Amino acid sequence: MEHGDVNGMIVRVEGVHKFFRRGSERLDVLNGLSLEVPEGEFLGLMGPSGSGKTTLLNLIAGLDKPSEGEVWVGDQRVSAMSESQLARWRTRHVGFVFQFYHLLPVLSAYENVELPLLLLRLSAAQRRQQVLTALELVGLSDRMDHRPGQLSGGQQQRVGIARAIVTDPTLIVADEPTGDLDARSAEEILNLLVELRKSLRKTILLVTHDPRAAVRADRLMHLDKGRLVEHQATA
Amino acid sequence: MKFFLLVFKNVRRNLLRSALTTLGTMVLVFVVTVVWSILALLDLVTQEKKENLKAIVTERWSIPSRMPFTYADTLAEGAARNPGDLRPTDSMTWQFYVGTLDREKLTRENFVIALAVQPEKLATMMDGLDDLRGQEKEALEKAIQALRQNRRGIIVGRTQLAHTNKRVGERLTASGIGEFKGIDLEFEIVGLFPPGRYDQMGAINCDYLNKELESYPLKHSGRKHLLADRSLNLMWLKVPDTEAFNRLTGQIDAAPYYRSPAVKCETASSGIASWLEAFRDLIWGMRWFLAPACLVTLALVIANAISISVRERRTELAVLKVLGFSPTQILLLVLGESLLLGVGAGLASAALTYAVVNWGLGGIAFPIAFFDRFMISAHALWWGPAMGGLAALAGSFLPAWAARNVRVADVFAKVA
Repeated sequence: MEHGDVNGMIVRVEGVHKFFRRGSERLDVLNGLSLEVPEGEFLGLMGPSGSGKTTLLNLIAGLDKPSEGEVWVGDQRVSAMSESQLARWRTRHVGFVFQFYHLLPVLSAYENVELPLLLLRLSAAQRRQQVLTALELVGLSDRMDHRPGQLSGGQQQRVGIARAIVTDPTLIVADEPTGDLDARSAEEILNLLVELRKSLRKTILLVTHDPRAAVRADRLMHLDKGRLVEHQATA
Repeated sequence: MKFFLLVFKNVRRNLLRSALTTLGTMVLVFVVTVVWSILALLDLVTQEKKENLKAIVTERWSIPSRMPFTYADTLAEGAARNPGDLRPTDSMTWQFYVGTLDREKLTRENFVIALAVQPEKLATMMDGLDDLRGQEKEALEKAIQALRQNRRGIIVGRTQLAHTNKRVGERLTASGIGEFKGIDLEFEIVGLFPPGRYDQMGAINCDYLNKELESYPLKHSGRKHLLADRSLNLMWLKVPDTEAFNRLTGQIDAAPYYRSPAVKCETASSGIASWLEAFRDLIWGMRWFLAPACLVTLALVIANAISISVRERRTELAVLKVLGFSPTQILLLVLGESLLLGVGAGLASAALTYAVVNWGLGGIAFPIAFFDRFMISAHALWWGPAMGGLAALAGSFLPAWAARNVRVADVFAKVA
């Protein structure tokens, strides 16, 4: 049954439970959580360590599967897709921004941004055009030949964002993207994410501990012990 | 192309580890290449030919073979007694002579090991001499002509000439040793063998040796020399095909001339195979122990390097999955890295071994039978990459499978 994208919702999480097993012990991380995110929203997720933020993000990005419940992104039931289907789907529809950037150290900034495009049927010229556009958007056109080790933390995170948007995904998920940055760099990255939402109409899910980051979101939700406990409009 | 570039850059990531793995692979591929080249040579010489066969007639029950030289005349005719019996297309007698240049100093360098033959047969019956071309052929024909004209001539191999410290045209005296004791021969060096398998031996006119054996009683109170009636070591008979060989064998077996000692007739390849029986355990060990052990070690060397690499890059592999790389693509990426190392190192090792051994050293000494030196097989140019590639695949499959199954959620649950 196809019932995603209901009323313009790009993300629908319905009654999701997620538990892990450690030996004989069952660890419940998400407990019947439901969530809807409309297209073009910048949603902030906060909560203490172990509250299930990253787990929720992984489920929405198709990196993990719920123990119960369903996850829809657009018209795709992500929770029912195979690993290979998810890989193909992620390339097209999800851009991921990590706390520690996770750029490949052996590749230049240009090559790191180009990496997801290698999985799509694009000509070299098309790839180049998209990479240059993404680097231009994050303001790093002049650093494209630099390796990650030659860039500052803020610059590396910009490359990470360029890599996340280069395939023009439906959804950008950012897991503590400012967590490893100084205040000034963090501010620049948050400005960039806000700008991406405004200019490209991207839907952004941001997991953060940083209140300064949280207030930049359109809507802020708190997770505690696997449940959404608070809804708060910020902007 | 870009995928290959990524594989290449990953291999360059830790240059020291990649270099050491490459070096280990090259050493092991070198060993296996040499072993397989020797085995390929042995397989080739023991493989039965279908046409233009050489039959070897030797003493049936004794090693080394010692037959009366009087057998030579009838054997040269294939023991043909009746009209319609088959006759060999060519034949050659083999009588070995072993002497020394210095009776007081019996070193290998002083040994004169010579084959006493009918000179003209050198050009028609000897492997490696019957297919010479150009200047080498002309030089050998000239030497053979000189050996026919000068009964005391000797054609020597390059190494033997170097040991004697003489030149063509000079004389040398050999004192018989072992069974040849009392047969002292004086030679004039009339020519050289072309470089290669006959480097360490010489060829003399059989008439000279036989006359010396005949005249031995004159100098020794009428007493015959020990080898007087058993100086013929073997006889080579050339036949056109297997059927002719079988007929010839039947004729020789049925002939009444060869009763004491009895003789046997076999193909050159089966003769060599019989001779190689003495080395059976060594050859078995090379084929089924040394080479496989090297290949297993090679796989383990690569497995070790790739395992470390995968363990170090677990987070990076998870990132690739997040970006959309499928498990199969991750598997291929890791297998590609090990294949690049294995195939590259295998090819480099085989090509280097081939060039150094064949072109640089002119072969590797292998002084058993008449092999003298052996060359690296041209097949090594595909053995090397195939060995490296297969060992790389075998060694890296488990690490690659582990990389394929990296769970993104597990990796980032600890990070975030």
